[in-house]
Amino acid sequence: MSTHTLARTGPGAAEGAPDIGRSARANKTRHAGTHPWAFAAPAFALLAVFFFVPTVFNFVYSFTDWSSFKAEIGFVGFDNFTRLISSGDIGRSLRVTLGYAVLVAILQNVFGLLLALLLEADTRINRFARVMFFIPVIMSALAVGYVFQAILKPDGALNQILSVVTGHAVGTAWLGSTTWTLLVVATIHAWKWMGLPMLIYMAGLKTINEDVLEASRLDGAGAWTTFWRIRLPLIAPAVTFNVATALLGSMNGFDIVQATTGGGPARSTELLNIFIFRTFGQGLFAQATTMSLVLFLVVIALAFPVIGMLRRREDVL
Amino acid sequence: MKMRYPALAATVVAFGLLTAACSDPGTGTTSDDTATSPASWPAQDADLEGVTLTIWAAQNSNTVPDSVVSAFEKSTGAKVDVVTITDPYEQSVQTKIATGDKPDLAFWQPTASMLAAINAKTNLQPLDDAPWLGSMDPALADLTGIYDETRYAALISTPAVIGMYYNKEVLAAAGITGTPTSWSELVQNAQTLRTGGVTPFFEMGGNDGVPWATQWWVQAQLAEAAQDGLWDEVNANDATFTDAPIIDAITGYQGLINDGMFNADIKTATFEDQGKALLAGEAAMVLQVNSYFSQLQSLADTDELNQKIGFFPISAEGNVGTYIPDQANALVAFKTGDVTREAAARQLLSFWLGDGYADFVADQNTVSLEPEVPTPATVPDALQSVADSLSSSVGSMQALAVANPDLYLRLGDMIQGSLTPEQVAQQTQDQFAQLAAAQGIAGF
Repeated sequence: MSTHTLARTGPGAAEGAPDIGRSARANKTRHAGTHPWAFAAPAFALLAVFFFVPTVFNFVYSFTDWSSFKAEIGFVGFDNFTRLISSGDIGRSLRVTLGYAVLVAILQNVFGLLLALLLEADTRINRFARVMFFIPVIMSALAVGYVFQAILKPDGALNQILSVVTGHAVGTAWLGSTTWTLLVVATIHAWKWMGLPMLIYMAGLKTINEDVLEASRLDGAGAWTTFWRIRLPLIAPAVTFNVATALLGSMNGFDIVQATTGGGPARSTELLNIFIFRTFGQGLFAQATTMSLVLFLVVIALAFPVIGMLRRREDVL
Repeated sequence: MKMRYPALAATVVAFGLLTAACSDPGTGTTSDDTATSPASWPAQDADLEGVTLTIWAAQNSNTVPDSVVSAFEKSTGAKVDVVTITDPYEQSVQTKIATGDKPDLAFWQPTASMLAAINAKTNLQPLDDAPWLGSMDPALADLTGIYDETRYAALISTPAVIGMYYNKEVLAAAGITGTPTSWSELVQNAQTLRTGGVTPFFEMGGNDGVPWATQWWVQAQLAEAAQDGLWDEVNANDATFTDAPIIDAITGYQGLINDGMFNADIKTATFEDQGKALLAGEAAMVLQVNSYFSQLQSLADTDELNQKIGFFPISAEGNVGTYIPDQANALVAFKTGDVTREAAARQLLSFWLGDGYADFVADQNTVSLEPEVPTPATVPDALQSVADSLSSSVGSMQALAVANPDLYLRLGDMIQGSLTPEQVAQQTQDQFAQLAAAQGIAGF
């Protein structure tokens, strides 16, 4: 779900700017001819209706007492914010959400990169395997959550397999630990989406000039050194995109965790979006809106430094 | 200049939508005048050719109307669509109503707190002078469904009662005859069972993050206090969850858990596990409500249930049950703004609890609310015991408090070890105050 939403910030998003030079004026005229702004209107209209307007509403409703309990909506200033901060609930949910996002960002990229390296060669088997690993990406996130919930139950498939393999009954509650369940759900999220970074890393690896690799071989670099010193630095733009989308996308995570644990045990996996969903369901619409505004601001506050930092890594190119 | 038009258009659209949105979309189509004028009640078989009614139901109540709906369609020519709304039902319904979507009828928990949560005054048709009220058991007619002195919900089946379901064979094997007459006797029995190597109680402390049954342990201990007006005091902010007796009930529950009175897998056990465990005799007792018995019915036939499973209400000082009507027990009729459909919705309710009631009770194999309509002989004993306990029972937090905070969720946290009883009480009180303030209740 969420991983797609940041695709616009991907590599190449800033293209189009560098060609302003001597022929800028001529270029601009030609540009206006072949790329009339009106063509962008439908896209902007959709963006306005489904993104800008809701975001503006989000701001407005955060300052009201909109609820299911009464028909009138009145402005209440910063009441919702002060209540939210004083209750401490949002701090806990934000910590859980950040932890989840960092874990997903790490796991999803490690999985994706490993798969890309493993399936890099264009063999028939590899092509088949790429398709297989991409299937979870197009699966419903809720379905993935429910499937894993069934597998990880104390009497689920995983424990049954382990019981057969080890020869004695295994009844581990994989989703029962208040410390480790967050890692489990983050791993499920990473498993579901790993096909996407796999493709992007693979595309990145393919762009590396064969001459560079040959030069490093002639210089006596082994596979390991080549990977660390040559290939990984050269796919920095792919890393930027994958880490940013995984991190920021999973900040908005909801479906997989809701289906797998519902935020439990003891709310140790209660992402901010699950908390917002629960608050909204209680009829406290304004409070829920305030929380989503806070999430929006946190994601923005995180996006700029993270993307900026990763972009600086690309300067070696 | 050209490029400005889309931007301008977008700005206009944005501002248009913004101004339109400054009123609650859920109230857009209401006809407030129907609230003041007394509603007429059409004859049960009045012709409704060409009228289509929509009933919202949850996944566990969507087959409840089947027999009534088909009889009503045959009798009136109306068409009735039963639409299943996804779980969590209450949240989904509230969300839909907030965005202006409304059915003609819906299953709804008929408690004051939940009627407030759906903004009954604006959204629901008052049912004050309903024709079926005279034929209902007088002890049950006014039990629930009333909010701020107006009736908004039609009770169709006996409300759930919080009480102890027990395995008769397990208790007999442990030498326990007769059911306890107070909480302390219950605890004594539990100790006897534990000493004999039997798990006294089985709790669904995990249930995939939604351990909703945990709150029964607190509420059952508060039954007498509730009779003495505990929830009125809480509603007025004169008493809080952090005061006795509520904090004591929470601490008492934790004490039983710490004493090993519950199943070893309490942290992960689910609702389904509760059913299997009691039937298999892996635990002696389960504190639950009617939906639990429905689960037992799906696992065993009536003969086996009559032989194995018993029910007794329990409270701090005696055997006062705590009733908690749920969504499958009642229906509400919406103000849709369409006079014909609003009348047809009332007509369906009076048919349901009138000419159609005997068939409904027989079809559902449930206890009748109307003395003139007999309860089928095939209703299991335990369910009959539940219904018998109703007349002496008291309302739950959901029934009597103005708001329904997530007490169960925090008790689940306590079972996992992440909250103390004091924190459970404090956080529940904070949420209660927040919900009460949102309703504009004085004192919050």
